[in-house]
Amino acid sequence: MGQAAVVDPELLKAGQGNGKKILILTTLASSYPGANAVGQARLSYSPDTYIFRVPDPVMFPDDFYLQCFDKGFGGILVMSSGSDCPYEGAYQRLSARIARVYLKMKEKGISTRRLKLTTICTVCRAAFLKEIAEMRKAVAGE
Amino acid sequence: MNGTGRPGDNQLGESTGDVRVGVYVCHCGGNISDVVDVKALAGLMAEYPHVAVAKEYPFMCSDPGQEIILEDIRANRVNRVVVASCSPTLHETTFRRALQRGGLNPYLYEHVNIREQVSWVHKDDHAAATRKALALVRAGVEKATRLDPLEALRVKAERRVAVIGGGPAGMSAALALAGAGLPVDLFEKGPALGGRLLEMGRVFPTGEEATALARRLAEDVAAQGSIRVHLGGEITRVDGYVGNFEVRVEEGGSQARVKAGALVLATGFDHYLPGAGEFGSGDAARVATLPEFQKALGSLPAGKVLRWRGREIRHLAFLHCVGSRQAEGLNPPQADGKVNDYCSRVCCTAALHAASQVLDRFPGTQVYDCHKDIRTYGRGHEAYYEDAAKKGALFFRYAEDALPEYLPASGLLPARLKFRDVLTWMEEVEVPADLLVLATGVVPRAIKGLVESLKLPVGADRFLQEAHPKLRPVEVANNGIFLAGTCQAPMTLDEACAAAGAAAAKAAQLLSQAEISLDPFVVELKAERCTGCGKCLEECSYSGALKLVDRPLAGLGATPPGPEGLSAAVIAVNEALCKGCGACVAVCEPRALELAGWHLDQFEAMAGAIAAS
Ligand SMILES: Cc1cc2nc3c(=O)[nH]c(=O)nc-3n(C[C@H](O)[C@H](O)[C@H](O)COP(=O)(O)OP(=O)(O)OC[C@H]3O[C@@H](n4cnc5c(N)ncnc54)[C@H](O)[C@@H]3O)c2cc1C
Ligand code: SF4
Ligand code: SF4
Ligand code: SF4
Repeated sequence: MGQAAVVDPELLKAGQGNGKKILILTTLASSYPGANAVGQARLSYSPDTYIFRVPDPVMFPDDFYLQCFDKGFGGILVMSSGSDCPYEGAYQRLSARIARVYLKMKEKGISTRRLKLTTICTVCRAAFLKEIAEMRKAVAGE
Repeated sequence: MNGTGRPGDNQLGESTGDVRVGVYVCHCGGNISDVVDVKALAGLMAEYPHVAVAKEYPFMCSDPGQEIILEDIRANRVNRVVVASCSPTLHETTFRRALQRGGLNPYLYEHVNIREQVSWVHKDDHAAATRKALALVRAGVEKATRLDPLEALRVKAERRVAVIGGGPAGMSAALALAGAGLPVDLFEKGPALGGRLLEMGRVFPTGEEATALARRLAEDVAAQGSIRVHLGGEITRVDGYVGNFEVRVEEGGSQARVKAGALVLATGFDHYLPGAGEFGSGDAARVATLPEFQKALGSLPAGKVLRWRGREIRHLAFLHCVGSRQAEGLNPPQADGKVNDYCSRVCCTAALHAASQVLDRFPGTQVYDCHKDIRTYGRGHEAYYEDAAKKGALFFRYAEDALPEYLPASGLLPARLKFRDVLTWMEEVEVPADLLVLATGVVPRAIKGLVESLKLPVGADRFLQEAHPKLRPVEVANNGIFLAGTCQAPMTLDEACAAAGAAAAKAAQLLSQAEISLDPFVVELKAERCTGCGKCLEECSYSGALKLVDRPLAGLGATPPGPEGLSAAVIAVNEALCKGCGACVAVCEPRALELAGWHLDQFEAMAGAIAAS
């Protein structure tokens, strides 16, 4: 055990500011354990990232994504299990849903680079980091 | 501190009337607290709405750590619990059990991961890590305040297991199940039990005749009074769900129906069949596949030189990875447009085992082994490589970016295998091959009917896919269905039998009680909100999980209640058939459907809490 961390309370009150946060939707079967594997390897990535775990992101309606942008999220990464998905037909349905969300984003003038559907498995550490780095660029408007 | 109730439609079920969340931040012995300011985190959470207590402790998973939660349930009337610690995959169940011991519904619990996904990945920025942890714990509290108590689903179960496939894995599973006291129906479509063993010669690592092994297993099966063997029948359909499957089989012109509480799939593999002309395939006198060669080898009389189809074989070459480890652009695609990029795992050892037998029994035959690399994984299997090398086999390693070429015999020149050899710095080599043995790989068996009727998950490699490679290695996502042996992936006999034992143990555990308890994370219906639009039906891949039924309007619980005598089409849910994927939830605009434990309003509130942090 090292020295316990002590953070200046003012820094905590400041909050993180909006517009930069990246929401990451992960699956119980693949990408959530994949995100854990990144931590187990002590690799690091941007702290502006917030991971939700769900059985499968196919459960989120189109509006969920738009509401998250309205709330101030800069980007959303949907990390599905892809062809390793344990649920029949869920990946195809999810990609169709994301395609519809893209259309709605265009209508609202939101850059489609701020939403990405990817596939991450339980050991995809490099891919996980790459997706976050790319989304950070998209969120920063680079 | 705050302990006021919140409006909303979640039932407390725990009699207090107020939502009182207990938040517990774990130091994880410094793993978390060296990076995240846990004291500040607990202090700030104590002021968050609905939080009754917020504490930090060195090891929340320890007995004294869990005791803190139990004490707060008793003394502080905590009725929702959030633990911020390591990954839920490690300790979610530990804390759910603690809630249960404290008399709370175990599903009124939310786990926040601030170790693998915070302290371990943001160790250089303590302030940012602590701010992120704070946002995540606030989101966890938002979810916790919206949790409903859940009850595990209970389904009556048939105490019998159907094992499909009578190869070594299927027989091993049936024997283990019978040993655990369960009656078994073992279905083998062929005329005899034994699977691929019936076509093989001597097998590694014991050197035993495969047919003798098959016979021994089949005799053990026959000696078990509780295993009913169905030979030669064709399974036409399998319906039902965990606890209540029905297998329909056509046997001798008549249809039989067998009920089973669980299914073990042991349908095995097929051998890769080389395409016409692939590495000389089709020239039966000069080119054989490894299974053909392995089967014939045992019955060839020993002598100075191996004889194959009447010809003396002075030069015998093995070519590895035929039909496996294929590369796009290099190998022609298979019927589905993909290449077989996986390793078949058994062919290296099987080829070297055969090479070693040839060198022992036919000293005048020179053996050449052309491989991509040797993968004799497994205990003691490296010895086959060393043994063949010691006995004089010559090893070559062909370059991966170009396929070896088979040159047929012409004039005085014998047939040859031509390739660039990595071991001699890419020198072009031609190896004489009076007989070329193709180490053909393992491919998934075509079991389309079963896959379709049971909606079985199939991986990118087309083998049946387990729910989780490490945590649930012999289960599929469909409850009550277990995988044994090579229907799941290439494996050796000992691995196939070990997987069969694991599948049998899982099935026996499932059926150990008359009723099966299922995770409650399936779709929930608020029938009064359903408009009968039917959109959810189109989203669900699992037939029977959802269906439209007529219900009397008066009984739907709508406000105001519908008139007597009239009915409306509404959805009905069969919880045992629902896999909990949530696809239907996304399209149900009136939110009549929600996934238990994973409600959309919980995620909306979580996103809101994070955005506001
Ligand atoms: C070339 C080669 C050499 C090998 N040599 C060795 C070795 O020396 N040592 C070793 O340990 N392993 C070896 N193996 C691996 C070994 O063959 C497998 O591990 C073993 O056969 C797997 O057993 P199984 O029961 O999973 O499948 P299988 O042996 O394929 O049995 C499956 C059975 O299921 C039946 N079936 C399929 N579908 C249905 C259906 N719908 N209804 C009813 N029945 C059905 C089939 O008819 C078959 O009888 C080798 C493999 C290859 C390819
Ligand atoms: S076991 Fe050996 S021969 Fe078989 S696919 Fe793997 S590397 Fe190739
Ligand atoms: S449950 Fe929802 S989607 Fe399904 S029929 Fe009813 S309203 Fe439509
Ligand atoms: S959650 Fe998935 S499996 Fe269950 S009813 Fe909905 S779509 Fe079907």
